[in-house]
Amino acid sequence: MTLYELQALLHGRITGIVQDRECELRQQLLPRPSLPALERVEIYEKMYLHRLVHAVAEDVPHTAALLGDESFLDLVREYLRDHPSRSPDIGQVGRHFGAWLRGRDGFRVDLPDLAVLERVRSEARSAPDAPVAGADELHSLPPDALPGTRFVFSPSLRVLRLHHDVRALWDALDANRNELPIPARRPTTLAVWRQEFKVFHTALSGSEADALEVAREGGTLEDVCAACAGEPEPAEAAFRTVLSWFADGWVAAVTKPGPRGTN
Amino acid sequence: MVPFLGHGIGLRTKHFPELLEQGRRADWFEVITENFLHVGGRPRAVLEAVRADRPVVLHGVSLSIGSVDPLNEEYLRDVRELADAVEPAWVSDHLCWGTFGRHNAHDLLPMPFTEEALSHVVSRVVEVQERLGRRILLENVSSYLSYAASTISEWDFLAEVARRADCLILLDVNNVYVSATNHGFDALAFLHGIPQDRVAQMHLAGHQDLGTHLLDTHDAPVPDPVWALYRDAVRRFGRVSTLVEWDDRIPPLDEVLAEAEKARSLASGVLERAA
Repeated sequence: MTLYELQALLHGRITGIVQDRECELRQQLLPRPSLPALERVEIYEKMYLHRLVHAVAEDVPHTAALLGDESFLDLVREYLRDHPSRSPDIGQVGRHFGAWLRGRDGFRVDLPDLAVLERVRSEARSAPDAPVAGADELHSLPPDALPGTRFVFSPSLRVLRLHHDVRALWDALDANRNELPIPARRPTTLAVWRQEFKVFHTALSGSEADALEVAREGGTLEDVCAACAGEPEPAEAAFRTVLSWFADGWVAAVTKPGPRGTN
Repeated sequence: MVPFLGHGIGLRTKHFPELLEQGRRADWFEVITENFLHVGGRPRAVLEAVRADRPVVLHGVSLSIGSVDPLNEEYLRDVRELADAVEPAWVSDHLCWGTFGRHNAHDLLPMPFTEEALSHVVSRVVEVQERLGRRILLENVSSYLSYAASTISEWDFLAEVARRADCLILLDVNNVYVSATNHGFDALAFLHGIPQDRVAQMHLAGHQDLGTHLLDTHDAPVPDPVWALYRDAVRRFGRVSTLVEWDDRIPPLDEVLAEAEKARSLASGVLERAA
């Protein structure tokens, strides 16, 4: 058996892809009196699952606690078949877990959204650092530069569009309360970000979410104002929204418009 | 050769408050490379704080040097970028494989010790060292299975990889003990099979005895038989930077630092007697 064939066989067995071929595997391994060959492979099979279940649980501790050890393990085992780890960083293995849960049932209906929120909070916690720009950077621009101004956002900032408002559920779990709110089925947009070492999340109104989406995609302050056009006082609403981004530390830099024709 | 750093410990999240807020330090720190790729926030702040006044080394777990998969170019670029930023005393990983078909098992799977595997690993170590712009250290792993196809002892395989690829060795004393027990070989034969001028670092850790085999758990103090083997290793390899690993059921920082102090004391005793 070549090195390629041996690794294919053993890796497949350990990760649960290869279910049979036991005779072939037995032939490749040395038995010892203390432990037969296949039981030696089982050590690796168990460690594989244990390690990856632990990694996913670190991302979504409240989700894991709500599911209970056994259900969580069964779900992660199934999840790993659909989403085997492709990253050298084991911390990335759970990144699709919340979205994957949406196709499952047998638990409270807002659990997938809770898992998505937990994962994103985990990402924000260790996202790359960036400087924090103050609103004074905006104020210092000449008035004619304002409409073409763009924003560079902190790498920790994430925007989530959820099917349920899970903020009260997250609060209850985080405070270790026994009584949990009933699922609140309503589309909810959350912003998640980190300030210093602390992670926050907050709900965004429709226009705030639209304005932020426009700005994150490279839109100008003028585009942000257009996204707030449905508000009673569009200009004031846009300015208030933008200032709140600075106050919360979401903006890493402000970029002035380039010379005419290069904007 | 690499510098002697003294007796260090692994940088672990549980100890961040004591390290960041109280300024507690070991002689040096080993960092799990993958935990710091593209990472900011508290982990990065702690890394930068300890790096400001102590040497740091990068210890990878996902190089998968023995895998038949192509080397992961993006990963190597990331490691190089981190190494350029952190300026570690050295970069290490394991003599093992863990990926197949780009599917990462996140484990340190043992190599078959064959001529085919030897050539494969040597060529990849040479390539990795070129990409990283530095020599790397390769660590012997704990293992629970061995292959019928192996024709070379583990120590001869490791020594030959180091010689042909001109890399260095991270000798994990606990792993030698665990594998020797699990496979019935002589741990001293392993030590004597490793060239003295290649060992640049040693690891110490705890394990669990599960009756049928020892499991490398890094969740307990270094047990007496591993301390005894460490004495033998110091006798053979002399003054080598040593690090205590504690990755699960991690105790307070003082307890881990005490293990590093014990290593220092044992090594000093052995070296004084030898002098």
